[in-house]
Amino acid sequence: MNAINLKINNEHYDVLVKPHWSLAYVIREKVGLTGTKTGCEMGTCGSCTLLLDGKPVFSCLRMAIDAQGCDIRTIEGVEEENNGELHPLQEAFIQDHGMQCGFCTPGMIIAAKHLLEHNPDPTELEVREAIGGHLCRCGTYIRIVRSILNAAEAMRNAQARQ
Amino acid sequence: MTTETSVVGKSLPLLDAYEKVTGRLKYAGDLPPMHHMHHAKVLRSPYAHAKVVHIDTSAAEALPGVSAVITHKDDITGKKKTCGSPWHDFSFNFRGPMISPEVCYVGDEVAVVSAVDEEIAKEAIKLIEVEYEELPAVFDMEEAMKEDAPQVHPWGPNSLPPSLFEWGDIGKGFDEADHIIENRISLGNQQHAPLDRNACIAHWEGGSVSLWTSTQALFWIRDAVTDFFELSPSKVRVYSTPTGGSFGLWWGNNFMLLTIAIARKARRPVRLVLTRDEVQTTVKRREKPLIDAKIGITKDGKMVSQSYRHLMDNGAYGNKFDPYQSVADIYTTEHGRVEFIGVATNLLPAGCMRGVGDLTLAYAIEQTVDMAAERVNMDPVEFHLKNHWKTGDICHTSQEVVFAKLLFNKNPTVELTSSGLAECITRGAETIDWKNKWKGWGTPSGVDGYKIRGVGMGISTHISGLAFFGFNGITVKVNPDGTMALTTGIGRMGQAGDTTQAMVCAEVMGVELEDISVVDGDSEVCGHTMVTFGSNGMHMVARATKAAAEHAKEQVLEYAAKHLEANPADLDIRNRRVFVKGSEERGVTLKELMSTPIFEYLAAPEVIGSASKGVEFDKAGKMMMADFAEVEIDTRTAQMKLIKFVAVHDSGTIVNPAVCENQVAGGYYQSMGFSTTEHLVFDDETGAILNPNFMDYKLMGPLDMPDPEIMFEEVYDEHGPFGAKGIGEGVTCAVPIAISNAVYNAIGVRLDPPITPDKILQALKSKS
Repeated sequence: MNAINLKINNEHYDVLVKPHWSLAYVIREKVGLTGTKTGCEMGTCGSCTLLLDGKPVFSCLRMAIDAQGCDIRTIEGVEEENNGELHPLQEAFIQDHGMQCGFCTPGMIIAAKHLLEHNPDPTELEVREAIGGHLCRCGTYIRIVRSILNAAEAMRNAQARQ
Repeated sequence: MTTETSVVGKSLPLLDAYEKVTGRLKYAGDLPPMHHMHHAKVLRSPYAHAKVVHIDTSAAEALPGVSAVITHKDDITGKKKTCGSPWHDFSFNFRGPMISPEVCYVGDEVAVVSAVDEEIAKEAIKLIEVEYEELPAVFDMEEAMKEDAPQVHPWGPNSLPPSLFEWGDIGKGFDEADHIIENRISLGNQQHAPLDRNACIAHWEGGSVSLWTSTQALFWIRDAVTDFFELSPSKVRVYSTPTGGSFGLWWGNNFMLLTIAIARKARRPVRLVLTRDEVQTTVKRREKPLIDAKIGITKDGKMVSQSYRHLMDNGAYGNKFDPYQSVADIYTTEHGRVEFIGVATNLLPAGCMRGVGDLTLAYAIEQTVDMAAERVNMDPVEFHLKNHWKTGDICHTSQEVVFAKLLFNKNPTVELTSSGLAECITRGAETIDWKNKWKGWGTPSGVDGYKIRGVGMGISTHISGLAFFGFNGITVKVNPDGTMALTTGIGRMGQAGDTTQAMVCAEVMGVELEDISVVDGDSEVCGHTMVTFGSNGMHMVARATKAAAEHAKEQVLEYAAKHLEANPADLDIRNRRVFVKGSEERGVTLKELMSTPIFEYLAAPEVIGSASKGVEFDKAGKMMMADFAEVEIDTRTAQMKLIKFVAVHDSGTIVNPAVCENQVAGGYYQSMGFSTTEHLVFDDETGAILNPNFMDYKLMGPLDMPDPEIMFEEVYDEHGPFGAKGIGEGVTCAVPIAISNAVYNAIGVRLDPPITPDKILQALKSKS
């Protein structure tokens, strides 16, 4: 076992890990943040997406032991960053039914959040490309894409008002 | 008849949407660890059929951290069939012992270990020594039905006598026909493939067991565990969490029984989470069909007789005797015969998946119908409109008829409540511009260099629940502030069952959806609600929900009558306020009513409405759909591209349009997978699944297919609550039909799903 410290959503966690444990596994099973989902455990479904130093990554393919010193952001931290309020993306997913069973939702929102931070006015194709590595077995893509586009618009409008 | 509604019909957000977008929703794999909890791992058979002649677990048991090991020697045997019904239990794949000394498919359970963590459990699994004696195996349905075939498992023959439905005089029916069209259909192996992985925690306290698991089948599991472990229902408590997708997969399954058994032996809570590989290869798949279809028509295109022989590969422990209820009643003919035979093979067990029965049989029927229309040179749209099922027609192949025969030795008739098929077909044809695009059978609608296009259509029906799913027990409790709690056993699997049931409750009670909280997923607290399956939620469960709300409303009005010094019959509730009809200024808010003492009792009222309702089966509500597709084939690469897809559905009144659109879209994506890329590949030699992951078993992603055009024909169903029928399963059924027919019209060769580039290439070669 190796003692490491993980910084997740601005909080520090001391955990004992084995070198082969994935970041997704440690965050879920050892830290207890289960908003990050693990569907395939081989980088093919996108459910475990989180932000590692600002970039979306499949955390099932990252070793926890390598994530020491990184800035890790999960779905649990999204409201925190937004002053305890729901993020416009979360609001849009709720209003536009951008989910069915909800299992892919955290990963979708994390990927979309990264997209909108870098591209506030994406085309539909750019949205689809940003979630291109994410599966929704319920097949909610139409409304997921609509949620993201509507959130982008709401965020631009809010920006314009400021 | 229609009803004016204020909640029903609106795209209101899901009740659990907040939990979902914040990652707070707990699926079974997310539940916090219990004190002293251990983790289980399963040792599985590498052989499709073998005897375990020797098994030594001593090294595993001696490994520090291991709390228990179970094998076939523990002899945990289910003595009874589950659920007190003559319906053989296909979800548990009933088979006697929980772990058998004779393993029957690659992945079958050989031993289970529980240990302080998953790593040690995995290590212990490696320390178990097993000596197998390989037995002959059979992987093909027709081979398995032969007399000299290897016996798949020791509990009975590979196939039982068929379930048979007959009406009219089939011989006469074919004699009267001017044309007889025969066809044989075989389809691929689809896997449910939810993103979430099956998981459960089992814990014994004294003689009582609790099970936490994600499922659509709360009471089914309660009853099955009760029977399997021979306990009183009062000693079994099942807590169901929402599922991360289900599509028929998250029922009872042997892995739950294994966890319960090892938790008893380990004397502590035990958790088992399946790996992706295990989800894909050891839980369940859709039955693979082999269908012989025969249709008789007159020269003017009237269908007079139909006969189908439907073999279903059920895998190692699939049910041998399930006539699958919703056997695609699409066309009414005077004469008919349908035969269902479940067949065991040494492959992964198979069972129901979204659209069960209809997806496969409707496909076979509709392919044959397309050929029939071609024979008499009648436009398929016209042929469908001439022959399809209509309101009041008899459901000859309803499984309820079989049950009535089995349980009561009676032969009742079951009548269709409503049919919007004509409306769906007409609207779909207009939307895709059928008149201009359809140029005849095997004739492209357009050619652009190497690219050829074709259009196709297909229709189907699907049940909206079946009566023998059982009674539904629902309560509605009104709180002192006028909000209310709805208690229901309906499962949460992405179909928004909690939200739409609450909408029915809110509609009756004259309040908003946000006033209702739903209590679900606890077999001790909730009234019996049978498995959420067969699209029974809105057409059947909601009848009890509506009745429970009406019961609560009746009480509210009685108390309000005292408060307002009026007659209860003169009162109604709207916008959270009870008022006197005709003089609306006289009224009282629900909040005031429920929190103000009434003189006669010196206390504020307490209202609990309840209803337990079965459903009479003499009238069946079925959903209807017509799908239309336009495809483009690149003749150089043999790639198929979907250009346009139109889905028109009659599910009666649409209670929540956004939810229903999502359901139809989901069915489209899943069935586009079934039509093109989704196919479990079994190794011919070993029977092992070669693509047990999302890398090699390709699901549709957000960039793979165009958005479908989704439309609803809201044909009011007099028997459904507020005119509603079911929706969840039927959404998959007509998609592959439309795709196959479109491909046929583009390239002139009929291909069956999965329609892969290699099949298209061969077809193009055969043409040239």
